[in-house]
Amino acid sequence: MNRRRISDKAFTIAAYVVFGLLTLALLLVLGPILVKGASAVLFRGTVEFRELQMDEHERGDAQALAEELEAAEAARAPVFQMIAEFRRGIDIDPLVEQAREANRAYGDLLRDQNVDRDVYRDRRRAARDIRNTLIEAYETDQEAVAHDKLDKVLAHREDSIFRDTPFELIFEMARDYRRIVESVDLDHRDEYGRALDEVLAALRNLLGPLPGEEMPALIMNQYGATRWDRAQVHLENVLWAEKWVPAGPNKPMVKKRVPREEQFAGTSLAPLFPLLEKDLDEMLRPRWTVHWQYFIDDSKASHFFGGVGPEIIGTVLLTILAILFAVPLGVVSAAYMIECGGDNPAILVIRTCINTLAGVPSIVFGLFGLAFFVVFLLPWLGLSEGSSILAGSLTLAVLVLPLVIRASEEAIRAVPHTYKEAALSLGAGQFWAFVTVTLPAALPGILTGIILSMSRAAGETAPILFTAAVALGPIPESIAQPTRALSYGSYDMAVGDRIAAMVPHKQFGMVMTLVVIVLVLNLAAILLRARISRKLRG
Amino acid sequence: MANLPPDSAAAAFGRPLLTTPGELSLTNYVRKAGRAVLFLLTATSVLAVFLIFFFIIREAWPFIAKYGLDEMFGSTGWYPEADQAEFGALAIFAGSLYVTGGALLIAGPLGLLTAAFLSDIVPFQARQIIKPVVELLAAIPSVAYGFFAILVFAPFLQEHLGMATGANALNAAILLAIMALPTIVSVAEDAMMAVGKDLRAASYALGATRAETVVKTIIPAAHNGIIAAVILGIMRAIGETMVVWMASGNASQIPSPWWDLREPVRTMTATIAGDMGETVKGSDHYRALFTIGLLLLVFTFILNLITEYFLHRVAKRAGGMKL
Amino acid sequence: MRKLWMLVAVIGLVGAVLAAPQSALAAETELQLEGSTTVGPIADAFAEEFMRNHPDWRITVKKTGSGDGAAALVDGRCDIANMSRFMKEKEFKNAVDNGVFPVAHVVAMDGVSVVVHPSNPISELTTEQVRDIYKGKYTNWNQLGGPNLEIVPISRDTSSGTYETFHKLVMKKEKMAGGVEYVKSNPQAHSRVKTTQGAIAYVGLGFVDAYVKALELDGVMPSQKTIASGTYPVSRPLYMWTNGFPKLGSPTHAFVTFHLSERGQEIVEAKGFVPITNY
Repeated sequence: MNRRRISDKAFTIAAYVVFGLLTLALLLVLGPILVKGASAVLFRGTVEFRELQMDEHERGDAQALAEELEAAEAARAPVFQMIAEFRRGIDIDPLVEQAREANRAYGDLLRDQNVDRDVYRDRRRAARDIRNTLIEAYETDQEAVAHDKLDKVLAHREDSIFRDTPFELIFEMARDYRRIVESVDLDHRDEYGRALDEVLAALRNLLGPLPGEEMPALIMNQYGATRWDRAQVHLENVLWAEKWVPAGPNKPMVKKRVPREEQFAGTSLAPLFPLLEKDLDEMLRPRWTVHWQYFIDDSKASHFFGGVGPEIIGTVLLTILAILFAVPLGVVSAAYMIECGGDNPAILVIRTCINTLAGVPSIVFGLFGLAFFVVFLLPWLGLSEGSSILAGSLTLAVLVLPLVIRASEEAIRAVPHTYKEAALSLGAGQFWAFVTVTLPAALPGILTGIILSMSRAAGETAPILFTAAVALGPIPESIAQPTRALSYGSYDMAVGDRIAAMVPHKQFGMVMTLVVIVLVLNLAAILLRARISRKLRG
Repeated sequence: MANLPPDSAAAAFGRPLLTTPGELSLTNYVRKAGRAVLFLLTATSVLAVFLIFFFIIREAWPFIAKYGLDEMFGSTGWYPEADQAEFGALAIFAGSLYVTGGALLIAGPLGLLTAAFLSDIVPFQARQIIKPVVELLAAIPSVAYGFFAILVFAPFLQEHLGMATGANALNAAILLAIMALPTIVSVAEDAMMAVGKDLRAASYALGATRAETVVKTIIPAAHNGIIAAVILGIMRAIGETMVVWMASGNASQIPSPWWDLREPVRTMTATIAGDMGETVKGSDHYRALFTIGLLLLVFTFILNLITEYFLHRVAKRAGGMKL
Repeated sequence: MRKLWMLVAVIGLVGAVLAAPQSALAAETELQLEGSTTVGPIADAFAEEFMRNHPDWRITVKKTGSGDGAAALVDGRCDIANMSRFMKEKEFKNAVDNGVFPVAHVVAMDGVSVVVHPSNPISELTTEQVRDIYKGKYTNWNQLGGPNLEIVPISRDTSSGTYETFHKLVMKKEKMAGGVEYVKSNPQAHSRVKTTQGAIAYVGLGFVDAYVKALELDGVMPSQKTIASGTYPVSRPLYMWTNGFPKLGSPTHAFVTFHLSERGQEIVEAKGFVPITNY
């Protein structure tokens, strides 16, 4: 007895476990999508975000934004100052150029003054020598040599030939540079240069282009971090340097993190990092934002900014057109089969065909749509050439037709016979009885079927791959053009885009929008069905 | 309708008494014409199936006529764009088989168990809450599953289970199992519910436990519907495109050793979806893809007929005498 | 009754959408581009620039592979075909048969870079070694002096221009092994390498970033300098093809000559490719 009891209990437990696994699977699949996707709409946006919205869409309060930008700039100023100063010690090219410029200006001045030819030559040679000494001071990586050269330059500071001329700049630069030499370790200038480049790259991602820099070509580089969560990621990149270090003879390398503060220890840049960490919220001013415009905006820079408006429009158009084509056909077919069908062998063939349609894989529908609608029918009718919403929705219509027919059949069958008989007994013809009595009674069930078909059509990708979908394109102006769609866009963002990987909230946002639409439709259908069954049970 | 007495007034008219008023009037002809139109509309389903077969065969036939199917079934070298094009699709067929078989191994038993759960273990009110879970699983679009497979599940397989690559047959098989489960569950559950109270009561009366009743009585009684459910599950799995395209790795190879599902594979659906965008229309490659599509269509059509046969037996059984 | 009104409203809405803008398209400018996923990002960026300066222009960019771009140009379905390889003989023939005379415009230079996961200590390989990896001769990185990790070779689809270049210059036209994973596009290859420790793949230069590590090939590191000078062994031009030379002053002409402007070259460089001029 015990063995049977145990196996019975085990069976029951196994069943519960399996169901639990199913629910877990549902949560695992939907969870990240809904949660991460929601962060595309609900997030902490920074002042960069508000600036972007103002520049691109003219949204927001211009006055308040201007004030915020001022405050943010004030908070950022010390950072940029430190960097500029540090750069002066590292980046000698601008300094060299400046020195050359000063020398040229001096030469121009001399020519203007129309001095004697020999005097001109001597003065110019002297100036050139001093300039070259200064440049040598810039280029050496030995502190002693630099000091030596600077002293040589500054020895001429009081020379009368240079007084009140542009050449005095050279001496200022020399004095400046002496100060810098004392704070920068010239040996490591190259190293610092490289590390500084990394820091600057991360800093640009964080705060946008540095003051004085040219506006970058791509819009995605023109703004700093627009979201607080991305800002944190970029902050990490600024504060920590990552290196791959060997872990052993037969193993792949492992990541090692070195705080950059250590990297730049002892230089004038070291206090930058704790300052950045402490004051980042002053510099970016994050605020909780509900960015519902995500659903109506177009995407900018391949989805780096912007929203999924066109995709939603595309999906809605495709779905509604597909339903428009499929529902009349489907309801009529179902009605005919029930009312006028009977055991006609033709009806059996029709039913087999409907079941066949239901079983055809969606990619084969795509092939059919390509071979029939795109290549043959629509060009023949002169309606469109190549992919179009029309072709895509026709293909989707053929795909959902069996669903509509089945649901309608079920709904019509569920209407009690008595309704129809009562109508007939009152003298109505068969057709009239159907249209005025049976059909309205079956309407909730048919509507459920329509809603489920809509959800299916909205979610399908394979049928529209070759018939209607493009990854990036303008909002279609007529149904003879291809369109973006949520389903194809989700696929494209998941595997296609490198830019998308930089903005995971946008990736998840698109698929979340699709899943939410589908879930809402399905929940509506479920509720409707519950209401019907309650009503029918009485 | 009784025969008319030969010398009655009606017989004098020379034709039978009309039962429906106005049978020969214009409205009647309109009605008949209307019926014919409705019939034609209903027959669009047939037209659709015919067109699908016709157009796909039309695009595929030149390839079959030129190369035959030997190479496709015989070789694993799929190099359709090489100078010496090869169209060996054996690995691709194997790939479809691998992911479908794997999905079925998981979804078959689990689906049956869930169907038994829904039909026999759970009280009726709870069903109203639990069935939606299954229906929601069915409603999630395949691209969302693909998203999950490549962005969440594949890294998990690579980082926590140490697989060389997370885009492989196992990933695709598990996701396909989740997608096919609702189909299997709903059809099997319908079949098991249709078995009826009598059989169950008899089994319990003989002292069987619930597990024994389900396993030894209900499942065999509902076997037609269960077979249909499993075949429908197969059709769902083999026809799925997006998930396998994103998550199976797309390597045209048969895993070695044969049971190692951790290798990437390529399925028929993924090959069609993946290659089509880049082929020149009318080229051999284009037609080869249509040929694969045709094979897929024929295979699912046959499976469909088999399913209908089994479902027909279920209907016959339910309509006839219950045991 | 309420549902009926909803239905009527929906039909009305759709009708409005369908009926409305069929007429106003006459004076509009439309550009269709199709083709390579390597050139795609450049085309995208150009398109955005143009649509920003000309708000009434409509530019569509489809990225499904060089082969599709050629086919679309031949069929007349697109104005400009982006391709990361030269057109094949078959494609030229098809084009001429269709009355299309393809003209190539080189918009940038690219180098096909072999990349691995950043944790892979290997930093250089020879073309023979890469070829053997893709032929299946090497299956573990420790056979090449690396860690004990299975090699996961990843390749582009056989119709891709990047694949063609790799196939010609590295594989020397030999066939790849069956166990090679196929991906559809440069970004997909990049993302596979980024997330798989043992992976090796080849991508356009514009797709090399901090998440993947480019290898030295035959001792030469792919960079803008080595590609522009031709020392990197796997360099190639990136093309935009048009049907004949576009009419001077037409939008197509503006688009395919944009790369010659300073702004165009800035964009090319910002996308990580090698500009063809020293702007």
